[in-house]
Parts: sequence; C-alpha cells; structure tokens
Amino acid sequence: MMYLKLPREDFDAFFKNLQEYGKIYGPVKAGSSAYNFKEVTTLDEMDLSYNRTIVPPKKFFVGLKEKIFEFDEKRAEFREVIEDDPRKVIFGIHSCDIHALKLLDKIYLEDMADKYYLERRRNAILIGIDCHPDEHCFCKSMGTSYATDGFDLFLHEISDGFFVRVGSMKGHEIVAKNKGLFDPVGSEDIEEFKRSQKKRLDEFKLELNLSGLQDMLELAHNSQIWDEYAEKCLGCGTCNLVCPTCRCYDVIDFVNLDITTGERVRRWDSCMLRRHGLVAGGLNFRPTRVERLRNRFNCKGSLLEGMLNCVGCGRCTVYCPAGIDYVEVLRKIAGD
Amino acid sequence: MVRVEVIDNVLAPSPSRIIKIEKMTEIERLFHVKFLSRDLVERFVYRPGQFVEVGVTGVGEAPISICSWREEPEILELCIRRVGRVTNAIHRLKEGDLLWIRGPYGNGFPMEEMEGSNLLLIAGGLGVAPLRAVLQYALKNRERYGEITVFYGFKSYELMLFREEFLYLFREGDEQKLRLYLSYEDQNDEKCKRLAEERGERIVQGVVTKLFEKTEISPENTYAIICGPPIMYKFVVKELIKRNFKPWQIYLTLERRMRCGIGKCGHCIVGEGNSIKYVCKDGPVFTYWDALNTKGMI
Repeated sequence: MMYLKLPREDFDAFFKNLQEYGKIYGPVKAGSSAYNFKEVTTLDEMDLSYNRTIVPPKKFFVGLKEKIFEFDEKRAEFREVIEDDPRKVIFGIHSCDIHALKLLDKIYLEDMADKYYLERRRNAILIGIDCHPDEHCFCKSMGTSYATDGFDLFLHEISDGFFVRVGSMKGHEIVAKNKGLFDPVGSEDIEEFKRSQKKRLDEFKLELNLSGLQDMLELAHNSQIWDEYAEKCLGCGTCNLVCPTCRCYDVIDFVNLDITTGERVRRWDSCMLRRHGLVAGGLNFRPTRVERLRNRFNCKGSLLEGMLNCVGCGRCTVYCPAGIDYVEVLRKIAGD
Repeated sequence: MVRVEVIDNVLAPSPSRIIKIEKMTEIERLFHVKFLSRDLVERFVYRPGQFVEVGVTGVGEAPISICSWREEPEILELCIRRVGRVTNAIHRLKEGDLLWIRGPYGNGFPMEEMEGSNLLLIAGGLGVAPLRAVLQYALKNRERYGEITVFYGFKSYELMLFREEFLYLFREGDEQKLRLYLSYEDQNDEKCKRLAEERGERIVQGVVTKLFEKTEISPENTYAIICGPPIMYKFVVKELIKRNFKPWQIYLTLERRMRCGIGKCGHCIVGEGNSIKYVCKDGPVFTYWDALNTKGMI
C-alpha cells in the first residue's frame, strides 16, 4: 500500500481535479438527518461527516430502473443500451459500502459477468472516507469497518489534512497526476492515523455475535420470533431498497406504439413483496409474510463464498417504517 | 475489483425461428425452434435437464426446460404450457415467428456420473418434458446404462404429453430394454381403461406413486430421477426411501421464478442459514441430499 498526505489547503484543488474522471457524486444532506449521494461540483455541497446515505452506492452500478435493451422485432434486433455515462467519481464512500460493492462484484462479475455492472464498475473511481459509527452501526462485528481494498483512494482525516491510502492503479494514476498536491507521510502523521483508528474503534456501541449465526437461523425455522416480527412488518420492501447488498431485480418489456419496437427495462425488486416467489400458474414459493421475512434474514445471514450478505451499515433498521431492529431480531434468534 | 474479460452481453437473447408447432393438449404445445445464426446452431450444446430463457419481445422471458436431446441439437424442442403471461404470448405465435432465446442454463443431470447404473425416471404431468431429454440421451447411449424404468403419471389420456412416443414405448419399449409404466388419475377415462386391458401390468389408475406397487424397485446401483409438480416430490421420495434409496441416489429438478437464469436476479433463492442456493445456477437439478440440507427446497 502506498501512503500519502493530502494537506488541507490542497483539498479543494484535489477535489476539482477529480472532475476529469467524470461527474462527482458525494454525500449531500437531504433532510434533517438524512443524506444521499448526489452530483456535486464543490466541496461545500457535501457533508463528509455524514453517518449513512439513505440509498447505498449500489445505485451507481445497478440502476434503480434502467433500460438495458432496445429491440426491433422486424429486424430481429436486440440492441444493448447503457443509459448513463459510466464514468463517475463516488466521493466519500464508507468502508461498509465498499465491502458491499465487493460482494456485488462477486455476484455480478464472477461467472456470467453482467455487462452493465462491469462497464460502470470499470469506469468509476471510488474515494473512501473515514466515518464515525452511530448507535446503529455494527460493521465492526461484521468485519467491514475497515477496507483494505476495493477503493481507489481512501481518506482518513488528521488534524491538518488527510492521511491517504492508495488502493489501486487508478488511485495511483490520480495521485501521480496531482503530485504537487500530496506530501509524503511523516512519522507524526502515522502516529495520528494510528490514534484516530484506535479512537474510532472505541466508538462502536452496537455489537452482534456472529458465531454460529447460520445454525441459529436454521434452528429458528419454526420460531415464534418470525411470526412476531411479520406481524409488525408492513411488507413494503424499504429494507431491500436501502440495503447495500440487496440486488434482486425484475425485468419488464415496454412496447412502442408501432408494436414492433420497444425496450427491455430492469428495476430493483424486493423479496418482501408478495410476487417475488410467484410463478406462472399462481404457485407462490414464499406465500406468507412470515416466509418472506425469514427468507430475507436467512439470505442476509448466510455465507456467500465466505462473505456475509450483510455489512452492518444499519440502514434497514434506521429506515424501517415499522421500527424493526435488524440486530434485535438476530439477537433473539441466537438467544442472546 | 474482480478481473473479468467479458465482451458478450449474457442478457442478450438470440433470435430463433419457430420451425414447427405441435398441439399436444388444449394447453400444451411443442415448439421446434432453430437459431437464426448458423454459428449458434452449431455452437449451442446442452445437457439433459438444462433450461433456456424463452422470450417474446414486449412481453418478457420465461424459463423453459429443453425437452429433447440430440448430439447436434440444430433444433430445440420446447414443450410449453400456456399458464402465464409469457407462455400465453408464446402460444399466440405461429410457425415462422421469432422466439428470443438465452442459455442453456443450470447444471442439468449428471449423465456421465450415472453411467453404468440403472435409471428410474419418475415423471408427473409436464414434468415429463425435462425427463424426455434424459430418456432420449440414455436411449441414444443405451449401452452406457443398465435397466431403464420409467414411471409416467398424468391426469387423463387427453392430457398425456408426447402421447404417441410414450404409447410406442409402452408397447415396444422392452425391445430397447426399457420398462415404461403409466398411471392415470381419471377413473372414467375409457381410453386409459383400454390400455389397461391391453397391458394391465404396465398401467394403473391413480397417482404416480401407485406404480411402486406394480414392480419391484431395487436401490442397487440405481439412480432415481424425479420431475413433476411440487406436491409430487415428497410422496415419491417417501416411496424411494422406503425402498432403501440413499438421498444421493435421488435426483430432483425444481421450478422457481427465474428472471435472469444466471444467479443474479435473486428470485429463485432457496434455503436457510448454512445452505442457500440459487435454483437457476446451483440447480435446477439437486439430489435429495441437497433437499435435506436446504430448507424449503421441496
């Protein structure tokens, strides 16, 4: 890993120079205590001390609703469409969200790679930033509170600027191009970086015991706990939309008035909605809310090649309109 | 980021021509389709038990198992029941029209692993479609397999799929060392009753599990392969376990909602805790051992 220092007086110039890599998206305040990644052109528009965005950065790689093909039946043609400019800079992404993207990479890129995701991932720059956990963050328990890779540059705030980790060749290229803005790290910076990391770890309040979680989930198959929470659950799917690792999608065709041309669109789907497990003929493999809720918790708590489908960002708890606390449910399941 | 070299868009379907449509029942038709691209016609290879996503522009796609097997496919046969939005649209198409196909997807049956063993195929209703591909493969490579026994259950003579083929095997199958047993549910089915008069030891009135009373089934060096409506699996598996089949000697092929067919869209997820599977990618063929370890599979 290459380490550099970005002095505070160079921060603005650094930000401006990133514009050559595409539009910059950063955390912007959206309401009293909510944030979202939005396009920004100046540093002031962002609040880099944000806790979490409502919608996770997955939206930059799998569109909420995106056209994927245009078809022409007469000409026997299916034309691939990538609607947005895949060149983007995601500025100020947190470690948990970087881990979530690494998981999405596994799904979307290993084996039968998804071209839309790949194009956007290849062309995006990820600039990570340190965060301070609030009462809903449990990334420390999930092993995602620190990113060792999966970013291009990672900024850790120190007193007179940022301690910068260079995580990729693209990151290297950026600092090489902006050589004049960076300083080598001094021993004082290193000490400060270490102290800030230690301090940050001590700030975590919420913990979740993961040991044996998969067995606990299976053993809870017939547990009353699912009924109890399914009673509270509105089945709205908000937890899926705000989850950085949820990735279910649906596909819909639209026909133009000439009835021979049209487009194929995909959009985010939700396993909490009734039709998720429905097949033609009316058979539903997860017909009740209890089954759907249990399925979601099992999906999140299972291992995908050693990675959990949850990064501990806390969004599902924070944004659940029924007040279902994700960690509380899993604790009950595990008997903690 | 994972390193990948892809240029092909795996979600892009290939146009194929409907060469022939055969009406099988009031709700099922057999579509013979051929890719427009000569290259694809030559390149497209698949295993029995694999499926394709079949699409109609403006309507969408549906996962359909390939019900035929030839070494050089050229023409794929798809037995499609008119049951949902997409399959209804497919039924409205005529010979010469286009279908949009992606695939083949899924693992398919381990035909090589089963070589040297006896095969017991148990099909219910439309479940006979993927098993027909297994049967065609096994008959094409007859010397590689031991005894082949087929249980095929249907509601009535009119709803029997691939009727001519199976009636031929019912009468003449023994010459190919194949024992075909049939079961029909409709007690008043005159045509089936006549078949019973013709060869009573091979046909029974009732559900498909009734056929277990008709013949001795030994687990010795035998694989059972089951496909049918979801309700059928538990009952058939029970009979097999009763006859000392081990869970890994039993293969099942499953149906689920599948939008992508490649393990991404998430709808076909099944299982809990330690074992979560995507039916489209990890299946659709599973052993009963998988089902015992993956909650909700059957």
